[in-house]
Amino acid sequence: MITLRIALNNLLASRRRTIFLGAALFLVTMFFVMMLALTGGVLDNLIRASTSISSGHLNIGGYYKSTPSDSQTIILNTSQLKQEAKEALPDAVRIVDRLRGWGKIISDQGTVQTGLNGIAIDEEREALALLELAPAKEYLENAPDPERIKGSLDELKKPGTIVIFASAAKRLKVDVGDAVTLRTETLKGQSNTAEATVAAVVRDLGLLSSWASFVPKQTVVELYQLKPDVSGAVQIWLKDIDRSEEAMNELRAHLDKKGYAQIEHDGQPFFIKLLQTVPNEDWTGAKLDVTTWEDEASFLTQIITGLRAVSFFLVLLLAVVIVIGITNTMTIAVRERTREIGTLRAIGMQRWRVLALFMIEATLLGIFAAGAGGVVGALASLLLDAAGIQLDIDAIRVVLLSDKLHLVPRLVDVVAAVLTLTAVSALAAFLPSLRAARITPVTAMQSAE
Amino acid sequence: MSGHIVELRGVIKDYPLGKVSVRALHGIDLSFDRGEFASIAGPSGSGKTTLLNLIGCVDVPSEGTVLMNGRSTGELSDRELTELRLFNLGFIFQSFNLVPVLTVAQNVELPLLLQHKMTGSERHAQVVAMLERVGLGKYVNHRPTELSGGQRQRVAIARALVTKPKLVLADEPTANLDSVTGNSILQLMRELNQTEGTTFLFSTHDAAVMKLASRVIRVHDGRIVDDGHGARPSADTNADRAAAAHA
Repeated sequence: MITLRIALNNLLASRRRTIFLGAALFLVTMFFVMMLALTGGVLDNLIRASTSISSGHLNIGGYYKSTPSDSQTIILNTSQLKQEAKEALPDAVRIVDRLRGWGKIISDQGTVQTGLNGIAIDEEREALALLELAPAKEYLENAPDPERIKGSLDELKKPGTIVIFASAAKRLKVDVGDAVTLRTETLKGQSNTAEATVAAVVRDLGLLSSWASFVPKQTVVELYQLKPDVSGAVQIWLKDIDRSEEAMNELRAHLDKKGYAQIEHDGQPFFIKLLQTVPNEDWTGAKLDVTTWEDEASFLTQIITGLRAVSFFLVLLLAVVIVIGITNTMTIAVRERTREIGTLRAIGMQRWRVLALFMIEATLLGIFAAGAGGVVGALASLLLDAAGIQLDIDAIRVVLLSDKLHLVPRLVDVVAAVLTLTAVSALAAFLPSLRAARITPVTAMQSAE
Repeated sequence: MSGHIVELRGVIKDYPLGKVSVRALHGIDLSFDRGEFASIAGPSGSGKTTLLNLIGCVDVPSEGTVLMNGRSTGELSDRELTELRLFNLGFIFQSFNLVPVLTVAQNVELPLLLQHKMTGSERHAQVVAMLERVGLGKYVNHRPTELSGGQRQRVAIARALVTKPKLVLADEPTANLDSVTGNSILQLMRELNQTEGTTFLFSTHDAAVMKLASRVIRVHDGRIVDDGHGARPSADTNADRAAAAHA
């Protein structure tokens, strides 16, 4: 108690030193929390984008090989598979199937390669709630009415329609209502085309929107000449996304029990397996592949890893500066207070308590300064997120997987940042504290004012 | 086992100085009993502070024995020496050495808190009583910087006595005070010695201070040259005063 009191009073008495070090700890913690919030925002974008554009929380995909060296991504008996998913996962909130295709969208003025998601809009309205119609300025050069918003996702109910992302519309130089041609290769290697009208142009969702579009299921069926009840994948949304991996294992076990052939779990997206893994496997026929949204978006998690590495590196650099600052300042403080420490030792304070005195001083500084930095960092992140700041630079949009600045400060991150910086502060004070603890009581007798 | 509070037997203290060592004390034999009001006198560099350090258990002898409560301090660990000081000794320093960030009451309470023997209310009562005793009852919540030199030394005396130690060591307690204040501090110490029975041992080279001591131990070049019980100012006092003036 007395140690705490002396430490606290010393912090208050050395106001300039406390403010200087406290400000440094405050700013670094705030920066750390905001970087973590940015990473959290990207992760959130990734989850939302990938579970809207290319994946459910869980997916039952499938590969069909007529010879050992080819591979196609289709599933047979789709309605039966949906039934199996329903039986295995009582906590599933939505089970739909999507057809998957890959081809070109051709307009009068451009061509883009894209994935074709064959969907039934009525089944997927909730999953696609994230998609926002883009104003004309986001994809038309010299748009007469830049803020104009046109079209509707509901148009996908009509055959011969397509919904594309703003980046694709920009490259194709098309507007809502324009006609485009879709060209794909059938499973037998023949080219096939279909006409489509642009029903809506939606805002980009980062990298994933660069190769995605939505068409009615029937369009994919016709382009690939698929038989009834054949689809690309069954996509399943759960009540709790965090249960994805556990649910995947349950579903795999259920399908095993029901006699479905499955490939070994491999945490990569389906198109990598389609192009690299499955063609090299020596089997023919149909096999299923149950994956999580994280598997399907694994090629994008490198962005998260990269952002985390950059945050860590920057915070590490700043922490080194803080450690040097605190160590130096505490060393000076110990020197200035040599007689006081000697006196405390002379009147009966044990060495460990002197060590604790200085460590507590640095820890208190850390808790208050880093705590304030953490709270302010979290509030600033929330404010920036609420401001919905538009990102104008394409490269940043690609990395942050969104056209808006999105920050998600999580309590666990704030607590981790505050604890880390407090630990840094205490650690920095260790050597000077040890030096203080080694001061002999004789020094109380020696020094004079 | 002797009945003395502290006893020194053939104590030698050497200090390393570069490649050689300097002998600060040469075979000191000395003891103190309960209730003494003793002074160690001598010019600067004579060894009186070294002697005080050894008696105060803040240093250990190079040779010989310092016995405190019958235990040889040279055989004790740092932790045991610290505990010995906490429970047996009180210190009064030349520069008062109060903790500047604590109030007067908190400074006095400090050794009691370190002892962990009393409850909060017991400690408070003890601290207030001690501050009243030294005439600072109105200053409990003041910071040391708000007090005069004499008042600060009174706080230091209260801090030294609050644990009721067997022996109080004072290193030139009046050196930083004017003569009137210094005299009142000495009177207070003498009064506490007589009423509480606390043993006081203080170093000084001021003849006026020595007058009050019941025993004056004169030290010169690390040796005791005189150990006068019931001492009065002697011929040496003038020499000491002259030495002090030139120190």
